[in-house]
Amino acid sequence: MINLQKVSKVYKLDSEIVFFALKDINLTIKEGEFCSIMGPSGSGKSTLMHIIGLLDKPSSGKVFIEKKEISNLSDDEISNLRNEFVGFVFQQFNLIPKLTVLENVTLPTIYTRSALSFNPRERADEILTKFGLKEKTHSYPNRLSGGQQQRVAIARAMIMKPRLILADEPTGNLDSKTGHEIMTLLRKLNEDENLTVALVTHESDIASYAKRVIKIRDGEIL
Amino acid sequence: MINLIAVYKEAIADFSRNKVRTFLTSLGILIGVFAVVILMALGLGLKKYISDQFEALGKSTLFLVPGRVLSGGGFSASVSSLTGRFDNRDLENLKRIDNVIGVAPIALKSAKVMGTIKEDFADILFSSEAIVDIMGFEVDMGRFFNKNDVTKRAKVIVLGPRIASDLFGSSEEALGKKIRIENVRFTIIGITKSRGGGGMGGFDYDKYFYGPYTTGYIFNPDKKFFRLSVKVKSENYISQVREDIKQKLLKRYEEEDFSIVEPTELMTAITSIFSILNLVLVAIAAVSLVVGGIGIMNIMYVTVSDRIKEIGIRRALGAHQSDILYQFLAESILLSLTGGFLGLAFAYLGIFFLNRYFPAYIDGLTVVISLVVSSAIGITFGVFPARKAANLEPVEAMRYE
Repeated sequence: MINLQKVSKVYKLDSEIVFFALKDINLTIKEGEFCSIMGPSGSGKSTLMHIIGLLDKPSSGKVFIEKKEISNLSDDEISNLRNEFVGFVFQQFNLIPKLTVLENVTLPTIYTRSALSFNPRERADEILTKFGLKEKTHSYPNRLSGGQQQRVAIARAMIMKPRLILADEPTGNLDSKTGHEIMTLLRKLNEDENLTVALVTHESDIASYAKRVIKIRDGEIL
Repeated sequence: MINLIAVYKEAIADFSRNKVRTFLTSLGILIGVFAVVILMALGLGLKKYISDQFEALGKSTLFLVPGRVLSGGGFSASVSSLTGRFDNRDLENLKRIDNVIGVAPIALKSAKVMGTIKEDFADILFSSEAIVDIMGFEVDMGRFFNKNDVTKRAKVIVLGPRIASDLFGSSEEALGKKIRIENVRFTIIGITKSRGGGGMGGFDYDKYFYGPYTTGYIFNPDKKFFRLSVKVKSENYISQVREDIKQKLLKRYEEEDFSIVEPTELMTAITSIFSILNLVLVAIAAVSLVVGGIGIMNIMYVTVSDRIKEIGIRRALGAHQSDILYQFLAESILLSLTGGFLGLAFAYLGIFFLNRYFPAYIDGLTVVISLVVSSAIGITFGVFPARKAANLEPVEAMRYE
């Protein structure tokens, strides 16, 4: 489903000094896979996830999504892929504080350019009920616990029926019990709905939820 | 297709969270639109007032004034127009022209006069009986002076109603009284009906004295008139009579010594002066609109900076650059339109009160223009902050705290 060929990301700190965040990465993620990208902070794992999730572009190398090379795509086409193909889950939850839970969850649907196969309100209700957040539908994010906020964020990632869920340290801001609940939820989504899940973490016990662990250090896959 | 309703809904929700900021930001536009609309309304009112005044003169009247009055389309009151030039011979010459039904010479005199109540300055207009028809005077009490009075150089005078009550308390009191102008005693034989008007530099006919021009020679030993008003049989003969008058006068005067003016011409000239003046004032007021627009731009930059992270999140969820652009553009348009609507509402209120003292009104065009201009300001000054927001890199925006 996703294929990276010799992908590098270089930051120019100075005219002289260059910093390789990623160095010649070759990686394939298959449909229905649950993999984790593990490495210490500064290893380039977040950069890798941003590139897979089309939030960032590589300095060199090629990224294929469904065998399509993405460097030729326009910003609008990439936006459509972010909207329909990928669902993001972040460490900071990244809910919009002034919107209610329902408004946050349905937010991606207002940006879509294709006809929706579902009613946003109904689908949001369905997911929120499944995640045990039904009574929080009209609450604002700041009235929710961290675990609840992260479940809202997952609901938002799910709303557009994406093929891929990308989670960047999803448990990083949660206590370990809640963290394991979130991981269980992600695994369930992977198993029940055949969703491809890619997860970034620095904790090995979180990484161990995945069927495949990709280790990364200093911008290179080990 | 972007969901515009959702975009505007969110913008409105944002404003209701920041009511004070929204109001203060719109204030610049509010004041600008208010000032522009009030000034435009005054301009329109003044134009209408002027044309009403000229309408009263009728379309079949020509004025003969000394000097060049309307040269090159402009209006220049030359010094010579204040002094007399025409004399009795011109008067008689003009009367003989075909299709002229009356000629009224006009000589003005200002004097201190003594009524029973108080002493005041009065402007006396000496003319012939033809003035009644030309100016459309109606008599309220007594009678106007007639041809006989003119021939006999009768010491009779007709008063406007305002000056009559100023000097004597009422028209009834004034009628029949004697009044002294310098050393000459006149009898007040009539009071005209009120014509209103005046008060804005125009003639206030209600404050004038009217006397026979022959009697006026007492104060006018040169026997000169500063204006001749010619009543033509009908509008259709205006240009022919105009040419005849010109030919007659050219036998005695140089071409630049006199002007033949039609009221409509004069009106156009005066109106164009006021229009230019009004345009200048409106342009000055419009500067405050630009200032208001800059205020909006400023606050929109602040809003964008406040929401960099939010923009990043929205982009990660699939928002196109155009979605972000429209979101911020919608906010700036709503801000300036709010100001525009409020400014218009206050202007309506202002005009309502102003109307007691001044002619002023707004037409539909003014309303449309002010709303179009306010949204245009919203777009013009909102587009830069909105583009800044739209062009943010998603990753960097999300990292922003």
